[in-house]
Amino acid sequence: MTAVQVVFVLLSLVAVVSALLVVTTPHLVHSALWLVVTLGAIAGVFLVLAAEFVAWVQVLIYVGAVVVLLLFALMLTRAPTGPQPDLTVRRWAPAAFVALLVAVLLGATLVAGFQDVRLDLDQAVVGSAEVTGETVFRRWVLPFEVLSVLLLAALVGAIVLSRLRSEDGDD
Amino acid sequence: MDPTPFIGLSAILFTIGCIGVLVRRNAIVIFMCVELMLNASNLALVTFARVHGNLDGQVAAFFVMVVAAAEVVVGLAIIMTIFRTRRSASVDDASLLKY
Amino acid sequence: MTTLAVSPLLSESVGDFTKPSIEYFDLSPLLIIIGVALAGVIVEAFVPRRLRYVVQTLVAVVGTIAALVMTVFVALGLEPRGDNAGFGAIAAEGAIAVDGPTVFLWGTILVLTLISVFLFAERHLEGGVTAFAGQAAALPGTEAEREASTKGLEHTEVFPLMMFAVAGMLLFPASNDLITMFVALEILSLPLYLLCGLARRRRLLSQEAALKYFMLGAFSSGFFLYGIALVYGYAGSMNLGDIAEAVSGTIGADPLLLGGIGLLAVGLLFKVGAAPFHAWTPDVYQGAPTAVTAFMAACTKVAAFGALLRLFYVGFGAARWDWTPMIWVVAILTMATGCVLALTQSDIKRMLAYSSIAHAGFILTGFVGLNAVATPGTAELTSLQAVLFYLVTYGFMTIGAFAVVTVVRDSSGEATHLSRWSGLGKESPFVAGVFAFFLLGMAGIPLTSGFTGKWAVFTSAWQGGAWPLVVVAALLSAVAAFFYIRVIVLMYFSDPVGEGPTVVMPSVLTTIVIAVGFAATVALGVVPGPVLDLAAHAGQFVR
Repeated sequence: MTAVQVVFVLLSLVAVVSALLVVTTPHLVHSALWLVVTLGAIAGVFLVLAAEFVAWVQVLIYVGAVVVLLLFALMLTRAPTGPQPDLTVRRWAPAAFVALLVAVLLGATLVAGFQDVRLDLDQAVVGSAEVTGETVFRRWVLPFEVLSVLLLAALVGAIVLSRLRSEDGDD
Repeated sequence: MDPTPFIGLSAILFTIGCIGVLVRRNAIVIFMCVELMLNASNLALVTFARVHGNLDGQVAAFFVMVVAAAEVVVGLAIIMTIFRTRRSASVDDASLLKY
Repeated sequence: MTTLAVSPLLSESVGDFTKPSIEYFDLSPLLIIIGVALAGVIVEAFVPRRLRYVVQTLVAVVGTIAALVMTVFVALGLEPRGDNAGFGAIAAEGAIAVDGPTVFLWGTILVLTLISVFLFAERHLEGGVTAFAGQAAALPGTEAEREASTKGLEHTEVFPLMMFAVAGMLLFPASNDLITMFVALEILSLPLYLLCGLARRRRLLSQEAALKYFMLGAFSSGFFLYGIALVYGYAGSMNLGDIAEAVSGTIGADPLLLGGIGLLAVGLLFKVGAAPFHAWTPDVYQGAPTAVTAFMAACTKVAAFGALLRLFYVGFGAARWDWTPMIWVVAILTMATGCVLALTQSDIKRMLAYSSIAHAGFILTGFVGLNAVATPGTAELTSLQAVLFYLVTYGFMTIGAFAVVTVVRDSSGEATHLSRWSGLGKESPFVAGVFAFFLLGMAGIPLTSGFTGKWAVFTSAWQGGAWPLVVVAALLSAVAAFFYIRVIVLMYFSDPVGEGPTVVMPSVLTTIVIAVGFAATVALGVVPGPVLDLAAHAGQFVR
């Protein structure tokens, strides 16, 4: 095993274990914190795959913004800090069914899909900010601009739902 | 190196997220599990970008993150509104609508 | 064992950046709608509160009409492309295909949007305010909420939010690559999730609808995204044309492709409300404000079916034999679920929701039909033509029917429980008659658009060799006719319960909506020719 492979194995172990904890822990807040660990490990895997830009965006947006927002939401909904035995429903049958379905589907694609493909991890095609930016602004410029509209729509909508108007009804 | 472990990792994470959505009861935790699923998809996209030697997959992963951020904003706004009305973020309590 | 070569272009091309080309004229309807949404946000910030409602309505109406006019110009300017009878061009660096079907769907969505704006703007029914919450953040039953309603506060932000959703709807069926499709799906959905939670009456129900729609929507978009990843892994490109090339170059079934098709189908079938991904539909249709329900039922379905058609016909056209059985199963399941469960409903909005599920099934029947170019002069229908026509008829009937639901009221708002509708024929023969006509249209009685639509999809499916499916569909249409007629019987031959329903006279806006829906249902039933021809002239998708 090369050094890169060792790093990958460690990262994926961390990601899977912490993802399982996100799904099973009886503590609400722990769930969010384990999510941080999973997302961090995935960011590491992105680096192994030489997707530099995506890795840092993952750290900035997901770990930095999304999870913090989720933690705020947990605080605002007065999530209890102690364990909550009723956080997980005993609806294992349908869950197991769907999980089995997804696992079989994805497993089949895996086994059959990559028999003769090799990844050369030493030959670096680094997804740096520069090349990513160039691709975004040439090939993907329309969806990128539309994304800004999406963010504005989300912003306006969230304000509509949450903002109380001032006393005299003027704003 | 074989890309299979990368796709395998993404498939496992996707399945875990999927189970989480089905068994968790708190809306915010369900939402975290959806984020996990989106991240698993991103991992698959980035791996395939590597396999095919083009950047489309990486750009797609970047776009997905932006979309996820917008989704979080909308989702949390809705969850907070419901919470303020009925003082609970459990999805089972939201049951005025019956089949 | 092959070592993948890495493209040397990646590192070399940096530095000599070439400007992307954007075909502003071809994209003008989409850009106008985005502009209208942005203008709406600016109006919200700078126009005094008392003027906002009028200004927002005007901006939305004028903008939609402008986009509609530009759609006509774009349609007239389409040029033949390729060898498969397609018209149009690929615009915006391959992100969007502006072709015949796109323009047809844009026209349909914009006309339906225009009349939905009238429903959104209706103020007469709630005594001078719109049907949206005056102050969404105020808790129901608190001082703040009472204050909001006495002051006549209203959320005029619903107009820009609606326009954001329309922009997504225009982009969705036109997107020529998977990432644009994903972004369009999200921009279509997010404003709708929010709009669902803004009902003035029965706020809890409305908020629950929003939560449910959001949760299931986010879950399904996760599947859609993994599908994108798998198809990208298979084809090495997000572009539908490249995917089509890769698919037709494959011998045998590739599990990566099949998995991708399956997961993408989950995401799209969720949006069109097909079984087994329909669970959200009745709850959301019931809980959302009726104007939003009408808009969403009609326009989302048109946009999502457009995207489904493009993705499967253009991208996966060569793998047709792999996905047709799946669509068969889904179509039968959807029709059966819609028709059977509609029988047991006691709420008019839920019943219409199940009816819309059944309609999704009928459209899917047409979807597996014969996908060929009809020779001029013959009566042969392409499945694309049939589905496009059905979407038009369905859209007008649905908006019309939900518009009628908004005017039948009692003291607590809309009287949606079916028992409240008994004896409506005596109370208001006119409204009951119009509603009965919409129901007959949905049931597919001759001389209504519903009949021509069903005839079109069944014919195309029959010609495509899917006759067992057509037989099942015809039988289930008979079941469906039963629950529509049950409501008609209830309206005309039952005595009113208690004080009975009252029909509130709406303003001219809702009247226009009902009149347009009614006129379209009659016209498309009696003289379907022009619209069928228009759908035929749309030609095929380009790639």
